[in-house]
Amino acid sequence: MKQRARFSRTVVVGGAALALVLSLSGCGGDSDAAGGDTLRVLVYGDAANKVEKEIVATFNKTSKVKAVLDTIPGADYQAKLQTIINSKQAPDVFFNWGGGSIKPFVDAGLLLPLDPFIAEAPDLKAKFLPSVFNSAVVDGTSYGVPMRGTQPVLLFSNGKVLERAGVEPPKTWDDLLAAVKALKADGVTPIALGGGDRWPTLMWFEYLYDRIAGPELFQKALDGDRDAWASPDSRKALSKIRELVDAGAFGTNYDSVKFTDQGSPTLLATGRAGFELMGSWEYSTQQDAHPEFAKSDLGYSAFPSVEDGKGDRANVVGNTNNFYSVLKKTKHPRAAAEFLKLMYSDRFVKAQLAIGNLPTTTNTEGFLDTAASPEFAKFQYDMVKAAPAFQLSWDQAYPQSAATAMYQSLQQFFNGSMDEDAFIKAMQALPTS
Amino acid sequence: MTPTAALSPDGETVKKDGSSAIGAGRPGFLWAAPAAVFFGLFALVPLVMVAVLSFASWDGLSDPEFAGLDNWRKLLDDPVMIKSLWLSVLLTVLGVAVQTPLSILLGVWAAGHQRNRGVLSAIYFVPMLLSVAAVSVLWRAVLDPNMGVPAQATWLFGDGNLFGKQATAIGVLVFVSTWQFTPLHTLIYQGAARAVPQVLYQAAQIDGAGTVRQFFHITLPQLRNAIITSMILMVVGGLTTFDTVLILTQGGPGSDTTISAYYMYQKAFKSFDYGGASAIALLLVLVSTVISLIVVRLSGYDKMRSTMEGL
Repeated sequence: MKQRARFSRTVVVGGAALALVLSLSGCGGDSDAAGGDTLRVLVYGDAANKVEKEIVATFNKTSKVKAVLDTIPGADYQAKLQTIINSKQAPDVFFNWGGGSIKPFVDAGLLLPLDPFIAEAPDLKAKFLPSVFNSAVVDGTSYGVPMRGTQPVLLFSNGKVLERAGVEPPKTWDDLLAAVKALKADGVTPIALGGGDRWPTLMWFEYLYDRIAGPELFQKALDGDRDAWASPDSRKALSKIRELVDAGAFGTNYDSVKFTDQGSPTLLATGRAGFELMGSWEYSTQQDAHPEFAKSDLGYSAFPSVEDGKGDRANVVGNTNNFYSVLKKTKHPRAAAEFLKLMYSDRFVKAQLAIGNLPTTTNTEGFLDTAASPEFAKFQYDMVKAAPAFQLSWDQAYPQSAATAMYQSLQQFFNGSMDEDAFIKAMQALPTS
Repeated sequence: MTPTAALSPDGETVKKDGSSAIGAGRPGFLWAAPAAVFFGLFALVPLVMVAVLSFASWDGLSDPEFAGLDNWRKLLDDPVMIKSLWLSVLLTVLGVAVQTPLSILLGVWAAGHQRNRGVLSAIYFVPMLLSVAAVSVLWRAVLDPNMGVPAQATWLFGDGNLFGKQATAIGVLVFVSTWQFTPLHTLIYQGAARAVPQVLYQAAQIDGAGTVRQFFHITLPQLRNAIITSMILMVVGGLTTFDTVLILTQGGPGSDTTISAYYMYQKAFKSFDYGGASAIALLLVLVSTVISLIVVRLSGYDKMRSTMEGL
C-alpha cells in the first residue's frame, strides 16, 4: 500500500511538471479575440503609428466591424510576420514592402487578390501614382494598397563643402567624377557611405544599373533570366562602380561606417564629406540630429545621368511605399476593403504629411504646402510623379532568401575582394522565386 | 525539495515492510522523471525535430516538404558554410590563446594579498556584469573610424577600417570577447590559486626559488584542473558565439566573419530557409561534440587527476 502511495505521489509531481510545461508551451493558443467582429491590422511599430492609430479610430467611427491595431516593433517585423501569418494569430490586414516581401505569401496562397475590390471601386487603384502602386502587383494581380510615404533615393550634399571645393551638384557621371576629384583635393571624403549596413552600398548598384541598362535589365534578372547579369550593360555598370570606388570617392574605411548608428550622416553634416546617396529619410535624420545643418546647408538632387545610358535620367530607385495587404482567410473582406479606401482620404494624406511622410496618392499634390518641409516634399513628389520607372530596392524586389547572399556579393565587389566575373556568378546564383 | 523531504520517512516505512530494504528507498528512475521530461521536451525533442527538418524544405509558411539530402548536398557545396566552420574554429582558438594567459596572470595576481588588490579586482570584474549586447554596442561606437578612438590614433589604426577587412574584423571580435569574458576566467583562476597549499611555496622559498620559478613550477601545475575547466568553457563559448558577431560585424565584410552560428541565424531568420538552417545546426552539434570529445581526451578532463598527490 505504502509503496503504491509513494508511486502515485511521484506520478502526481511528474504529472504536474508536465502539465506546467504543456500549458507554458501552449500559452497564447486561443487568447485572441479575433473571432468576433474585429478586423486585426498589423503594422511595423515606429513613430508613424500615430497616423495608423488615427485612421483606425476614424474607421471605427462608422464601421460595424471594429479595427484593432497591432504593432511589431523594429527590425524583427518580417521574421515575426513570417511566423504568425499562417497561424491562428494571423492578422486580417498587414503592413509590408510589396514586391519580394509578399511574393512568398502569394505563392503560398495566403493573400486576397484586390482586383475584385478595384473593379467595384476603381479609386482604390486610380487614386495612387501608378509607379508606386505597381510594386505590390505580383504576377499581374494587385495585392497591396500604399499606406505610408514614398522614399526615393536622392543624392544629398553639404552645400558649404561643395562651395569650398567649387563643385556643383553633378548632372552627369563625368560631373560626379570631377566633383570627386575636387573634393578629394580639398581634403574631404567625397562621398559618405555607410557600407557597414550594406544596403547603402546597394543604392549605388541600383542607380548605376538603372541609368546604364534601364529598368528592364533588372526586371529580366528578377524574372529568372540569368544571362541579364552577364550582359554588356551589366558589365558596364560594374566597371563604372569600380571606376568610382577606385577614384577614392568613398575613402577607404566606408565598410566600417554605418548609417544606422549616425556614422555617415554625421560625416555629411560636419563637413567631412561632400555627398551621400541615401533614401529620403536622410532629411528627417538630419533634422533630428543636426537641425542647423538641415536648415541651411543640406542639399539634394537627383542621381546624375550616365552618357550613352539606356535609362531615363528621371528614373527613381528606392522604397516605393509601404503597403497594406489582406489575408485570404479574413472573415471581413468587405470591412477590409472599406478600410483600404481610407488610404487615399484627405485626412490620411494630411496626417502623413504632418509627420514628414510623403503619401503617393493623386490628391497629395493639393496638400503639399501643409507638409513638415514643403519644399522638400514638393521636390520628391514631382520627382516620383514624373518618374517613368520607380525601381523597388533590389533587396525587397528579390525574395527574402536572396538578401544575405546579395549583400555579401555587393559588399565584396564594392571593396574589391570579388572580381566582376565572380560577382556576376554570385548574382546569377540568387534564388528568384 | 520534495525528494529530500520524502526520503527519510519513506525509507523507514519501506524497511518496516521488509521489502527490498536497500533498493526501494534509493532514487530510482521515477525520481529522475521531472528533470528527464524537461530535458526531453526542451533538448531532445527540438534536436530530433531539427534533424528531421534538415531533410525537408520549409519556409515557415506552407507545410514542410521532404527534400531528401538536398539541404545537405547544398551545404557541402556551399563555400560560405565551409568557410564559416573554419572561422568558428579560428575564433575559438584565438579566444583560448588570448584569454588563457591573460586570465591566469590576472587570476594569480588577484589571489595574492597586495594593497588595493580588492578594489582593482572589483573593477576588472565589471565587464562580466554587462550584457554581451551592451558591450558590443559600446565597442562598436568606441571603434568607429570617424567618431571613435581610431580617428584620434591614426598612428595605430591607420584609416580605421577595422570592420572592413577580415583580419582586423576578426581581431575586433577576439578583443571584445576577451574584454568581456576574461573576468569570468580570472575568477576561476583566482579561486584555484587561493586553493594552492601554502606549504608548497614555503618549501620552494627554502629551496631558494624566486617568484617566477614558483609560478611556473608550483602555481601553473596546481592550476591544471582550473585550466581545463576554463578552456572547455572557452571552447563551448567560442563555438556558440553569436551576439558579438550580430552586433559588431553582421558577418561582414562580405562573409569574412560569418561564423557557423551566425550563418545558421541568417539562413533561418533572414532567408527563411529553415531546412538549410537545421542542417547547419545539426552539423554544428556534430562538430562541437567532436571538438569537445577531443578536448576532453587530450586534456585528461575525463580522469581529473588530483593536484594534491604527495601532500
